[in-house]
Amino acid sequence: MITLYRPGDSLWHRLPTGRKAALLAALVLGISLVPVSWAWWGALIPAAVCLGCYAVPGIGVTRLLAQAWAARWIILVTLAGQLLFLGPQPAVVNTARVVAIIAVATLLALTTQVTELLDAIERGLAPLARLGVDPRRAGLLLTVTLTTLPVLARAAGHVREAQRARGARPRLRLFVVPFLVVALKHADELGEALTARGVR
Amino acid sequence: MARVGVFAGITAALGLPGGFTVLGGVPITAQTLGVMLAGAILGPRLGALSMTVFMGLVAAGLPLLAGGRGGAAVFVGPSGGYAIGWIAGAFVIGAIVHAGGRKPVWWRTLLGMLVGGIVVVYAFGIPVQSAVTHLPLGQTVLASLVFVPGDLVKAVVAVLVVGTLVRAYPRAFRREWVSGRLPAAETGGAHR
Repeated sequence: MITLYRPGDSLWHRLPTGRKAALLAALVLGISLVPVSWAWWGALIPAAVCLGCYAVPGIGVTRLLAQAWAARWIILVTLAGQLLFLGPQPAVVNTARVVAIIAVATLLALTTQVTELLDAIERGLAPLARLGVDPRRAGLLLTVTLTTLPVLARAAGHVREAQRARGARPRLRLFVVPFLVVALKHADELGEALTARGVR
Repeated sequence: MARVGVFAGITAALGLPGGFTVLGGVPITAQTLGVMLAGAILGPRLGALSMTVFMGLVAAGLPLLAGGRGGAAVFVGPSGGYAIGWIAGAFVIGAIVHAGGRKPVWWRTLLGMLVGGIVVVYAFGIPVQSAVTHLPLGQTVLASLVFVPGDLVKAVVAVLVVGTLVRAYPRAFRREWVSGRLPAAETGGAHR
């Protein structure tokens, strides 16, 4: 399973998950609270925070550029809408802020393993136990879903190949129905397997 | 439980790369179709739960959203409101499609898709987008109109899929339409 996680030994990698999430959330909040009236500072401050976060040894600015490229559609849509309605200066400032927010928040996924984050979510849900949410069930549900993803991706591939082999043109509706049936059958089998192991 | 997980997975699979790119490479994917189908097939509570699970995995750093995006960044960026909107949307769709425990018919399904899948999703998405990008609300609405035609197409596809599924694989719904619902653990031979 491909994740956003990139192994490494940077400062961010070594921070404990909970504290890292809190710190990054604070940075994101800080960036989004830079007032509009500061004009160009509104673009410079987020950019500086963002650079500062990525410039630690072991991550590097190239990673930042890769993130910006991954977010290119968001940037494009945001920039286009803003240029059209607000004019160039606010457009640049607002887009810079949005990109900085996304880039800083991405650091969490970049430097923390999925299993570790799932554990953190499970721990974070613990206070909800009083409201009737069972954090262990929630954690199990997330893990079960995680293991289902490759199975479903393969099933989707099979359906598509089978249709191509019969010379059908790829069409959304003709793909979705057989895929759903296969996936839901898998769900039933999975449910039986879970029930057999005492999970209801 | 398994069905909830698998449906979160289905939504992910519909957003996989190599999916369906229309309109000259702009990544409009089938992913919102997953939202619509989750609500329509699983019903309000489980549908919303499966979307919550999906978002949980996204938050945990899996690049499951269309175009390989993921991570907590999704929730603080301009698209954050839509993530919440998906959960609410799946709930509303399920509530409308299965209103009164009757069998889904095409017009009720279509109504559910339009209200839950489009109106509700945008009702959550647009204010957040407007707040994050500092673009006034009215203009954000205008900018978002670009995506409505694609969503309309998906709503129609979802209605057709649900209609076909009711006939081809009624087990999928795990419901007894004539006399209320079956408990989830039943054999699920829903009669027509």
